[in-house]
Amino acid sequence: MKALDLLDDASADLLGFDWLVKALAPVSPYGARLFSELVPFRPGNEAAAESRARRIAEIADGLHPDRVAAARSLLQQLPDIVGVVARVSMGEMLDDPAFLELRQFCEMLERIDASLAASALVQPIANEATRAVSESLAPGRNEADGFYLADAFDAELAAARAAYAQAQAELNAARGRENESVARELGRDEIAGNEFIVMRSELRGALPAGVRVVREAATYLLCALEYGESCRSALERREAALRTVAALEERARLSLSSIVSEHAAGLGAAAGALGELDVTIGAVRFTQRHRCTAPVVTGEPVLTFEQARFLPLEAELTVAGRRYAPIDLDLRGAAVLTGPNMGGKSLALQTCGFLALCTAFGLPAPAVRARVGLFDQIAWLGTGLQERTGGLLSSFARELLGLQEILARSAPRLLIFVDEFARTTTPHEGKALVVALTERLRERNACALVATHLQGVAAAAGVAHFAVRGLKGIRTPPAARNLHEALEALAASMDYTIADVSDDDVPVADAIALAELLGLDSEFVKAAYRALSQ
Amino acid sequence: MRVGLRLLELARERRARAIFVVGTGKNVGKTTALLAIYEAACRSGLRVGLASIGPKPRLRLHPNTVFITARPLLPPSPAVEILNISQLESSSGSLLYARTAHGGLYDLAGPSSASGLRAAVEEIAARSDVVLIDGAIDRISTLASSNGAIVVSCGAAAAKTESEAVCDVATLTARLRVPAFDPHAGILELEGALTATMAAGFIAAREDRQIVVGDSTQIVMNGRSLAEALARLRIRCRRAFEVIATTVCAVAPERSFDPAAFLGAVADATKLPSFDVFAGKEVA
Repeated sequence: MKALDLLDDASADLLGFDWLVKALAPVSPYGARLFSELVPFRPGNEAAAESRARRIAEIADGLHPDRVAAARSLLQQLPDIVGVVARVSMGEMLDDPAFLELRQFCEMLERIDASLAASALVQPIANEATRAVSESLAPGRNEADGFYLADAFDAELAAARAAYAQAQAELNAARGRENESVARELGRDEIAGNEFIVMRSELRGALPAGVRVVREAATYLLCALEYGESCRSALERREAALRTVAALEERARLSLSSIVSEHAAGLGAAAGALGELDVTIGAVRFTQRHRCTAPVVTGEPVLTFEQARFLPLEAELTVAGRRYAPIDLDLRGAAVLTGPNMGGKSLALQTCGFLALCTAFGLPAPAVRARVGLFDQIAWLGTGLQERTGGLLSSFARELLGLQEILARSAPRLLIFVDEFARTTTPHEGKALVVALTERLRERNACALVATHLQGVAAAAGVAHFAVRGLKGIRTPPAARNLHEALEALAASMDYTIADVSDDDVPVADAIALAELLGLDSEFVKAAYRALSQ
Repeated sequence: MRVGLRLLELARERRARAIFVVGTGKNVGKTTALLAIYEAACRSGLRVGLASIGPKPRLRLHPNTVFITARPLLPPSPAVEILNISQLESSSGSLLYARTAHGGLYDLAGPSSASGLRAAVEEIAARSDVVLIDGAIDRISTLASSNGAIVVSCGAAAAKTESEAVCDVATLTARLRVPAFDPHAGILELEGALTATMAAGFIAAREDRQIVVGDSTQIVMNGRSLAEALARLRIRCRRAFEVIATTVCAVAPERSFDPAAFLGAVADATKLPSFDVFAGKEVA
């Protein structure tokens, strides 16, 4: 999948793009090639994006996950025949391993089709060409399910091979006789190997006929056994028989290669369809695993969803045995999001971004219901972007330059997540900057969610105001200062619901309560409350 | 004296299904020993498999031999049965398993990693009665998971003098024959290799527990250091190897030893049945 200019790297990282790519990754080389070229749908292509997501969701609904797993397992085993098809279409003769790969490919297609037959939405991939190639290579199947250029491939092959085997047997016999004769004369059981040692002390008289001395030493002779006349003529007969076999085997391979070549287009089409299937099955698996639904893809800059989840975090929490709290939101245009620390504001932004990404790639989204627009650019500004240290720019300056870059691009349909922008300057000027930014985003008709702790931004910028509800009463801090238990207590006390609070524009931070919950000493907490009341 | 048959018998007496032929160096007669065993196994009617750690040029194979080779090295004729195309790679290209339908000249090739070789041996063993492996010492741990035997080849090509060649093979076989540990006696288990420095430390500390390594390839010592360590420490292995014989090759292009004296010296130093495949001799 290519994000192209939809996302910059840092935003992609925060919004879980790499996680999504991994979760969708196909398993066959065909799928991998297609997947690497997938690009997001752009505004104007809402119908196509929605149609793809719907089709994936429908297949996911109708196909048991076991069948999906079985299909993926078969896809994973597929040999890559693209190179073979390319070579044969240019007139190259194929070798036996290539025939095995082709036959395995064609047979595997039938099995994949059978495993997915339950879904009417998945079109069979095997075609006339794959069936013809499979049939033509069938005589080559051996008991090991491999391939042998069997006698059945050429009418003259059986006789030629029998002649070769006979010639080889005659040569072996002739050589064996010569070997035995020499061994007997030397008083040995056998002559092993091409060269052998004769100890001078054991030699009675001259060396036997046919034995050539390779090297002489004081105590031994290194010898080789030459071919006698009967051996030489047997060798010539065997070489001639082998030449005949080789010619006939080549003829059989040429004939098979020509059949494959005739069906190259059909094989190529099947390979292409397999790529599509693999990518689709990857998305179906994703949909089933993460309980996704097809979004309504709209031409407006909106993000409206119920029970949405940011899957990378949900996966982490599941591993840790913790519960994930899904969220609802109705974001139309620009809006401000406030709420307590650790109340999930950043996560809400990430959830929005993740849903927008899924929609952009025509995928079902992790929500019970979703209505999402397509965008030209999805950007993130503020905290969370990989903090760089050192250099000439302060973090505030870097934020400003980031904003300048986003605004300069003038993407006609912008989705932007702003997380505590200008938090490192004075609250007074920081607020002014956030208000100005929010106004600008509203004017540009961008879809934007601006998370901040600053008060009065939504009203000043004339946009909707959402807030995380926050702590539902403060629990007693855990007796032992155990961070894990404190986080458990916090999660149990936190209401992550996002409410439209446009009429009640007072952000709640619950910061002091959090300090207490996380184990800061009671004197410190009391002092903080005193300061707050003054 | 049928050397190949004797080596095969020694392996089968120990119920070995894999025979690993390793050498003290290059051109010490490993392939000659391997081919002698191969011929004997074929004559005995066994289904034979052949594997190699790297490319092995042209061997004349009999029908029904299972072997591993690189795809580019497969000759077009006589055609072989392609059994399986492996995911393993070699320096000569991707590997595949094949079975000869007719006699012919074929190249062997194999994976360079120990895990790859283990997978290849398992695949070939599933289709044959005995697997012969043209191996290397550093890949011998492959045998740790299989029922295998080792033949050690030595020769004039790998040493400047006869005594050096004898010392090399004696050291190597001593290392490979380190026995398995006794679970009822005290042990000091090492995670990695046992080096000469470590062994010197143990000797100085008068360590009397069994010093246990995974297998003898993890004993990284040679010559005098190894002899001293084996004599003064109780070095043991978690997985012991079965060394069944040595073979000698007294001739090399650059030098030669007296074949009879060399064979006798090797047998004496290793206390193993020793064979000269070239002379058709055995010294037990």
